[in-house]
Amino acid sequence: MASGSGDSAGGRGESTEVNSKWLDAHYDPMANIHTFSACLALADLHGDGEYKLVVGDLGPNGRQPRLKVLKGPSVLTESPLPALPSAAAAFLMEPHEPRTPALALASGPCVYVYKNLRPYFKFSLPPLPPNPLEQDLWNQAKEDRIDPLTLKEMLEGIREKAEVPLSSQSLRFLHLELGEMEAFVAQHKTQPIRRQTVITTMTILKKNLADEDAVSCLVLGTENRELLVLDPEAFTVLTKMNLPSVPVFLEASGQFDVEFWLTAACRDGNIYILRRDCKRPKYCIELSAQPVGLVRIHKTLVVGSTQDMLHSFTHKGKKLWTVPMPAPILTMSLLEQRSRGLQAVMAGLANGEMRIYRDKALLNIIRTPDAVTSLCFGRYGREDNTLIMTTRGGGLVIKILKRTAVFGEGAGEAGPPPAQALRLNVPRKTRLYVDQTLREREAGTAMHRAFQMDLYLLRLRAARAYVQALESSLNPVSATLREPLKLHAVVQGLGPTFKLTLHLQNTSAVRPAMGLLVSCLYNESLYALPRAFFKVPMLVPGLSYPLETFVECLSDKGISDVIKVLVLREGQSAPLLSAHINMPVSEGLVAA
Amino acid sequence: MGLLDKLSGLLGLKKKEIHVLCLGLDNSGKTTIINKLKPSNAQTQDIVPTIGFSIEKFKTSSLSFTVFDMSGQGRYRNLWEHYYKEGQAIIFVIDSSDRLRMVVAKEELDILLNHPDIKHRRIPILFFANKMDLRDAVTSVKVSQLLSLENIKDKPWHICASDAIKGEGLQEGVDWLQDQIQAVKT
Repeated sequence: MASGSGDSAGGRGESTEVNSKWLDAHYDPMANIHTFSACLALADLHGDGEYKLVVGDLGPNGRQPRLKVLKGPSVLTESPLPALPSAAAAFLMEPHEPRTPALALASGPCVYVYKNLRPYFKFSLPPLPPNPLEQDLWNQAKEDRIDPLTLKEMLEGIREKAEVPLSSQSLRFLHLELGEMEAFVAQHKTQPIRRQTVITTMTILKKNLADEDAVSCLVLGTENRELLVLDPEAFTVLTKMNLPSVPVFLEASGQFDVEFWLTAACRDGNIYILRRDCKRPKYCIELSAQPVGLVRIHKTLVVGSTQDMLHSFTHKGKKLWTVPMPAPILTMSLLEQRSRGLQAVMAGLANGEMRIYRDKALLNIIRTPDAVTSLCFGRYGREDNTLIMTTRGGGLVIKILKRTAVFGEGAGEAGPPPAQALRLNVPRKTRLYVDQTLREREAGTAMHRAFQMDLYLLRLRAARAYVQALESSLNPVSATLREPLKLHAVVQGLGPTFKLTLHLQNTSAVRPAMGLLVSCLYNESLYALPRAFFKVPMLVPGLSYPLETFVECLSDKGISDVIKVLVLREGQSAPLLSAHINMPVSEGLVAA
Repeated sequence: MGLLDKLSGLLGLKKKEIHVLCLGLDNSGKTTIINKLKPSNAQTQDIVPTIGFSIEKFKTSSLSFTVFDMSGQGRYRNLWEHYYKEGQAIIFVIDSSDRLRMVVAKEELDILLNHPDIKHRRIPILFFANKMDLRDAVTSVKVSQLLSLENIKDKPWHICASDAIKGEGLQEGVDWLQDQIQAVKT
C-alpha cells in the first residue's frame, strides 16, 4: 500500500527535484519519533525567538511515552510520561511580560503544564461518582464479609448490566488470577474507589482578545462525552458541555468571553458544533464514515473521512465540496503562510504522499519515503514556513518552504474544466429544422423502430450473402483452414488483346501449397484464351505468384462479359476459391 | 572641491570608496561583524535586528568601505536585489551553528549568484562562517561543502571562520577583500 498508486496522480502540482517549492532541511529515518499531529506543537518555549518542537511521543509500539523537545534537528530534552499522550499545545497563561508560552500536554486523565520546560502544574479531571453497588461491595470486602470470589462474581454482574461503568480498580481486580486476588483485595480494600475518565483531545481557545499572543484557555474533550474549558491561570473548569458521543478531534474559534464556536468530530461519525451559552450541540453534521482529521480555515471546516475523502462544510454545517483522495488519509493539519495570506489543508496519505489543498484545488504534492503519520507547519527555529513530518517508521522530515515559492492558482483543478469553454456547433433555427425537430419529437419511437428494422434487415442480407459466398467458394480468399490462399486478378490492356494477371498468394505461416490448378470459365463466343487451364507451381508461404495469360476479345460490338477464375485442388471438383473478373470493353476494336 | 579631490587622489591621500553589500540570513551576525569592523569609538554596544537596511562606513589601510548592511529577515530579503548593481563586493555571512537553515542560506546564495546583475560580473565574495564559538557550530570547510561553494568558478571567493563577538577572523577576511579589490582596480 505504501508505494501503490503512486503515479496515478499525473504531474499536476507535483514537486519535482528541480523546481520544488521546498528545501530539504533535514531527514532522519531513525529519529524514533512515533506520534500523531495532535501531539505536535511549535512554541517559543524560552522566549528567545527560537521556536522549539514539542512532541508527545508514544514510543515504539506505544510502550514508552515520552515528552521530547526538539531544537533544530536534534532532541533538546526528553522526559518520560506516566501515560500515553493524547494532545500537546502551547498557550499563553498570563498577560504579563515576559510572554513565554506554557506547554500543556494531555495524558491519561491529567494535563501537565510546563513553564520554561519545568513542571508547573498538573490538572486532573474531576472524579466521577462511583457506582453505588460497586461501592457497597468494596465496603463489604473491607469488613471481610465477602470473600474475593464472590466479590468477583458480583462485580462481573455489575459490569454486564450497570449503566455506570466500573472503576479502574475493579476492572483490574477482574483481570487477576485466583491466587492474586486475596493480596489485591487486602491491599486495595481500604482505599476509596474512584472513577476517572481520560482526555481524548485538547485544543486552545483565546480568552478575551483575538491577538496572536493573547491569553488562551485549554479546551478538553473527555472519554465521558464532555467538553471542558479551563481557566488559563487557576485551572478551574469554567464551563462544561455535553456531547452525544466521545470527541476525537477538536477545533475552537472565537474568544471565550465574547463568542466562540467549538467543533468536535466524534466517534459516532458526526461532527457537532457548539456555541457559547449552549450546553448542547447547536449543529450536527453527519458524515457517512468515521472522521480521521479536522481542520478549520476561517469559517469553513475540512474533514477527512475513512472513505478516502475530504469534505468541506461551513461553520453552520452546510456542505461545500468533496474531493476524493487516491489513498487512505492518515493525518491532517493546517498550513498557514502568513506572509502570503495562504491557508491550506495538508493531508498525509497512506501511499506516501502529502497533499496540500486550498479549498478543493490541489496545490502541491510532496512524496515522502514513508507514510506520514503526523504533520505540523509553522515557525521552527528561526524559519517561518517550516513543515515537520514524522513517518510511520519513526522518521523525521523537516522541509522549509522557499521564500520565492508561490502556490499557483492554476496548478490545481480550480475553476471550470476547459471543455466547458468549447462552443457547440448548434444548427440555426430554420423552418425546416423546427419542423424536423417537431416531427422527431412526435414520432421518435416509430422512427427509431423503422431504423432498427432496416438495420436488422441489412445485417441479415449481408450475413446471407456472406454465407452463400462461403458455401460456393465464390470469394477470392480461401475459407478453408487447410489451404489459406488469396487471389487477386488484374486486367491490363485496351483490347482486343488483354493481359490477365492472377496473383496467387499462400497466406499460411509455414505450409507450402502444392498440386493446385487454375481454370478459367468464359463465353467462348466472346473471348479466346490460349491457356484456359494451367497448373500452379508450388506456392511458398508469403510470396505472391503472378500467373499470366492473354485474353483475346472476339466481338466487335463493344460488349463485355465476366470471366470466372477457379482455383482447384487436384482430384477435387469443388473449387477452393473463385474470382469473377469483369472484363472491360475492348476499345481497340470499337475505335477501329 | 573637484580640484582638491583630484589632487588628494593623485597624492594617494584620499582613499578609494568601495561599496560592499553585507548579506546573509537573519540572526547570522551581519550587523555584529560590521560593528566590529568600525573604529572602536564608533561601535555600539547592543545589536538589534536590522529593519530594511543600514549604511555603515569603515576604513582600512588603503580603502574606504561603504557597507550596505541588509536585513536578513525573510520579508526584507527581496530588497537585496535592488542594491546588487551598486555593490562592488559582497560579504555573505552564515550562521555555522544553524544546521537546519543551511539549505536556506544555500538557496539565497543561489538566487544571488543567478541574478542578472551579479551573474556576469567578476565580483569578489567573502564568506564568513560565523558563530564559531558556539558548541554545535560546523567548520568552515563543512560550511563551504554545504553551500557547494566549489561550484563558483567565475568569481573570486574566500571563506573565513569567524567569531564576530570576539572579532576573531574578521581582519583576515577584510584583508583578502582589500587585496581582491585592488587587484581588480590595477
